[in-house]
Amino acid sequence: MTEEMAWIVQAQQGDDDSFTNLVETYQKPVYNLCYRMLGEPEAADDAAQETFLKAYQNLTRYDRERSFATWLLSIAAHHCIDRLRRKRFISFSIDKDEEGQTELPDRSAPDPETETVKKQTRERLQDCLQSLEPIDRAAVVMRYWQDCSEIEIAQALKLTVPAVKSRLHRARRALADLWEEKPAQVHRERKPYGSPAF
Amino acid sequence: MDHRPFEDWLLEDKALTADEKRLLNTHLRDCPSCTSLAEVDLALKSVRVVEPAAGFAERFRVRLEARKRILRQRNFWGFFVLVACALNLLALVAWPLIEHLVHAPVDALTAWLSSILSFWASLQALLHAGEVLFKVMPSFVPAYIWMMVLFAAGGWSLLWIFSLMKFTKFPRGV
Repeated sequence: MTEEMAWIVQAQQGDDDSFTNLVETYQKPVYNLCYRMLGEPEAADDAAQETFLKAYQNLTRYDRERSFATWLLSIAAHHCIDRLRRKRFISFSIDKDEEGQTELPDRSAPDPETETVKKQTRERLQDCLQSLEPIDRAAVVMRYWQDCSEIEIAQALKLTVPAVKSRLHRARRALADLWEEKPAQVHRERKPYGSPAF
Repeated sequence: MDHRPFEDWLLEDKALTADEKRLLNTHLRDCPSCTSLAEVDLALKSVRVVEPAAGFAERFRVRLEARKRILRQRNFWGFFVLVACALNLLALVAWPLIEHLVHAPVDALTAWLSSILSFWASLQALLHAGEVLFKVMPSFVPAYIWMMVLFAAGGWSLLWIFSLMKFTKFPRGV
């Protein structure tokens, strides 16, 4: 029995410490999925916490034949989809970065300009993601960030494998169209030693 | 511009040969649509996983404890209200009987006994009537009526099960 399975069994028997170990192990993928789905750090944190609570309350219903990560991501995805349905028009504030604070270019980095471009790419991508249909967005996040197979995505989102393939194609095409429509707004910062005259 | 097969290669994440790569690169130089597809793919693959703020597990522990406390309180008050209602109802129903029993015990006991006997006799009569009906009914009720009754009962049961499933709260994805 793997360590993870031992924690699951112990948590199913009511051991809260074992469940906390599972939370520590899976907090990043679950939070990342929630963040990519909802676009706001506070909402993502709340959704991730609720996901773990739902998992805790329904742990006896977990089928040990399935991957625990996929089961958790399935709960998280459905929770976020429900949340988005309740709050149809969620607006993503570009003033906030992934940690919930304004991200300034790293002055200590070798090239702060590159850092700024990277940050803008992240924001642009997140902006495009928010325009996708929630189920398509969940499929894209699971495919790219969680490296889930199409079968796992299908299990998690209660879809067929061909439907997942078709949704992924459609979503990537839509993202590319949005990417083309929203060109990068690179505000090249003047370096401290630079001069507009040169 | 014809995007095939380049768009399919990009969407399918096909492993390309050196010649195919060269052809794709040539196409990408002239095709903004496929270029954006390749750029998005690259951006999706390069953007890092976002981490929650520090102390996530600790915050979860606190929330779990709070949720458990709320559940315990809800269970306690639910049980308390249920018991209080049951006791009140019992007192309301039993009070006239107790009063009667205290004032005229023999009359009360006789009345109860006669009620029980009358109930028993009625029950037996009903059972006998039911038995007779069960033997007689099939002969004069057409088969299609029985079919309709069976279908109606089946439909009713399905509706009942569906309603129970619909209103039983299980989170989706579990």
